[in-house]
Amino acid sequence: MQFRHEQLPNGLDIIAEVSEAAHSASLGFFVKTGARDEHDSISGASHFLEHMVFKGTDTLSAEDINLRFDFMGASANAFTSEEDTVYYAAVLPEKQHDALELLSAMMRPALREDDFVTEKQVILEEIKMYDDQPPFGADDRCRALFFQDHPLARSVLGSTSSIEALQVDAMRAYHQQRYASDNLVLAASGAVDFESLVTSAQQLCGEWKPSPQNNRKVEFSNSHSRTVTDVITREQAALEYAVRMSPGPAEDTDDRFAAKLLAVVLGDDSGSRLYWDLVDSGQAEHAVCHHHDFLDAGVFVTQLSCEPETTYALIDRIIEIYQEAANGLSNNEVDQARNKLLSRVVLAGERPRQRLFSLGLEWAHLGRYRSVTDDLETLDSISRDDLHRILAEWQLTASSSTVLAGPLLKDSPTT
Amino acid sequence: MKQTLQTATLDNGIILLGEFLPGVESVSVSFHVAAGSLCDALSTRETDRSCCGLATLAGELMLRGAGDRDSKQLIAALDNAGVQWSQSVSMSHGSFAGAMVSRQLPDSLKIYADILRRPLLDQSQFDPARQVVLQNLAGTEDDPTHRTMLALRKAHYPSPWGLPSEGTSADVTKLSHTDVKNFVDTFIQPQDMIVSVAGRLDWPEFVKQIEALFSDWQGQPTEPISAGERGEKICHVPYDSQQTHIALAWDVPPYRDPDSLQATAALAVLGGGSSSRLFTEVREKRGLCYSVSAGYQTQRDLAVAMAYSGTTADRAQETLDVMLHEIKALPGTITNDELDRVKARAKSGLVMQQESTAARAGAMARQWFHLGRIRTLAEDLERLDNLTVESIENWLAKNPLTEITTVSLGRDPLEVPDAVSP
Repeated sequence: MQFRHEQLPNGLDIIAEVSEAAHSASLGFFVKTGARDEHDSISGASHFLEHMVFKGTDTLSAEDINLRFDFMGASANAFTSEEDTVYYAAVLPEKQHDALELLSAMMRPALREDDFVTEKQVILEEIKMYDDQPPFGADDRCRALFFQDHPLARSVLGSTSSIEALQVDAMRAYHQQRYASDNLVLAASGAVDFESLVTSAQQLCGEWKPSPQNNRKVEFSNSHSRTVTDVITREQAALEYAVRMSPGPAEDTDDRFAAKLLAVVLGDDSGSRLYWDLVDSGQAEHAVCHHHDFLDAGVFVTQLSCEPETTYALIDRIIEIYQEAANGLSNNEVDQARNKLLSRVVLAGERPRQRLFSLGLEWAHLGRYRSVTDDLETLDSISRDDLHRILAEWQLTASSSTVLAGPLLKDSPTT
Repeated sequence: MKQTLQTATLDNGIILLGEFLPGVESVSVSFHVAAGSLCDALSTRETDRSCCGLATLAGELMLRGAGDRDSKQLIAALDNAGVQWSQSVSMSHGSFAGAMVSRQLPDSLKIYADILRRPLLDQSQFDPARQVVLQNLAGTEDDPTHRTMLALRKAHYPSPWGLPSEGTSADVTKLSHTDVKNFVDTFIQPQDMIVSVAGRLDWPEFVKQIEALFSDWQGQPTEPISAGERGEKICHVPYDSQQTHIALAWDVPPYRDPDSLQATAALAVLGGGSSSRLFTEVREKRGLCYSVSAGYQTQRDLAVAMAYSGTTADRAQETLDVMLHEIKALPGTITNDELDRVKARAKSGLVMQQESTAARAGAMARQWFHLGRIRTLAEDLERLDNLTVESIENWLAKNPLTEITTVSLGRDPLEVPDAVSP
């Protein structure tokens, strides 16, 4: 594996992790924009724009884009999160230039009014689809409660009303500002010809204009969050779904790695404390904890699904499990979690498509490269005491937001 | 691309498949025992009471301790060896798989031998294991897409192929510890078990170790399964949701039939990729849905084509009408460009599979199950190259689509035309 980096005069970063052994090349544009960069009147615009990027440019129709990707045998897609919008394609190495040519053209979409109207229907369908399936909006509601007036409180999809009200002009303005050359990263992994990638990018993206970007970080203070519970009632659901958030380390601290290891000890989907206590015993369908980090905040997310009448008791039990953990973890469980994570890092490292996302997001957020070896060494260096320190510092049992969705009613007893 | 494929058969019927993949540190191994959910039907016949979900419950209990390790020790041993393990039940197989750094393979094979040959099937673990299966079944109740596909399977496949692999709550509640023990004794057998391994691999060492762990395991043949009745051709499941889910199925040749290539290529033109007809007509031009696709599901002797979409209730009828129209319009209209795109996508898929040890191990096992051999990548690519629009059209002309099973799930039933005439 070899890491390469170049920057075009207009500020576009080009990075690659080149692997001689790979059979494919993956490449993608990582746009530093997401729900957190929106305001009320354009809520859902980042994600809607991601769809519109596939609807064509001044010279390409939506059909042209779909045809070209399929002709090159690309596995292409995109996703939008709170902080990022990512467009990617995995192709055979000989299609590297074709894929870049198409992806870079797409970054300058036409945003036609009639496409906007048609695609709005697809977005509304997507909102309805998620509303019909677990956790029935509990994740969005919980994030809103937890982050309150912080930008991370925003929903990626937006709401039916915000999408219906959104105008194409507002999306055009948003695109112009957020898709500036210095707000994008072009990342590639696998069997990449880096010299050719840079040459092509100069031709295809060299004319893009930079634009001054605001500092995206907003201080998130723990005092913002308090212990709150909300209930979304879905009478016909078979199970109750709970999402609980409590503060954790942000991504700009080294503690994020220890936080992730801790989450595996506490709540991995098998072999963890939550698993043995709640899932293996058949009390819960699902009980997991993971750590998610953002530019300026971090969060431990606990998810539970279980028979409705047991929900409050099981949430109490989860808090007890976290308290017990704060009293001390065993060396064996920390080592078991570490071995699991080490293996995940090695296996993910073999897939260019998986490496692309780690590589691109790390650079987009922190402007630095971490190799598979860096990740393995960091994991090896974390001690049991580091996890105890995280537990003491972040108090998983203290302030939190919890949202339930399922048959339970709002006036049920709260914990 | 030079490929190193290996096969071996043990005297007791265990099939070993291997591929050395250069440039990787990992290895993936999977064990596929002929103890899938179809065997539930044989247990039903034996016990005279419906046993849907028994294979799934057996798989769950087998992981709760084996050899000299109890449940927690077993999972700890796999986790500490860095084995990314999984267990699943399909119609034909109960499968146990693991991906790991290659030096852990010898130790993990010993653990898998314990799981398959010496599961504790501890009485005290039975109630929690059944509770886990019941919890998972309750969870699937809340997934409208999954429910739709289960209803489609029930309506289209002959029994017992149409029964849900994960079981039904009504049956699982009544299963006993003895049922599971009998199931494991009867169906967890070496005959036809496929052990597939791919990645950084020392094949002779691997064969030697599998022989040492499994060659003294003897079993007896199990009974064949016969096909029963099919369900209703048109079926609506009332469900209070914003979206209506539509699923269609029709018969196509199974994978081992040489014509399956023509059939799957036609299906890919219809609903594979974002330039496919369904995606273009239903989503791109009309904005009727977020997801629409068509796919292929094959068993050894029968296979079905399936198409799916989920859309708002008041636009569901139009969605169904467009889907049916596109399915019927396919014969006689496939273009060279469409076929070129199908080939390009399939070729990329085959080459990229070589980058995942787990995907390769799984794919080899599936090919062996259906064909009794593994095709090389070169052979698969050549078959694709030889595919022509003419061969697909000839097949479509000789095999006109006469009957489509239609399932909907949502607030209101849809109008389905009586007959499908191509």
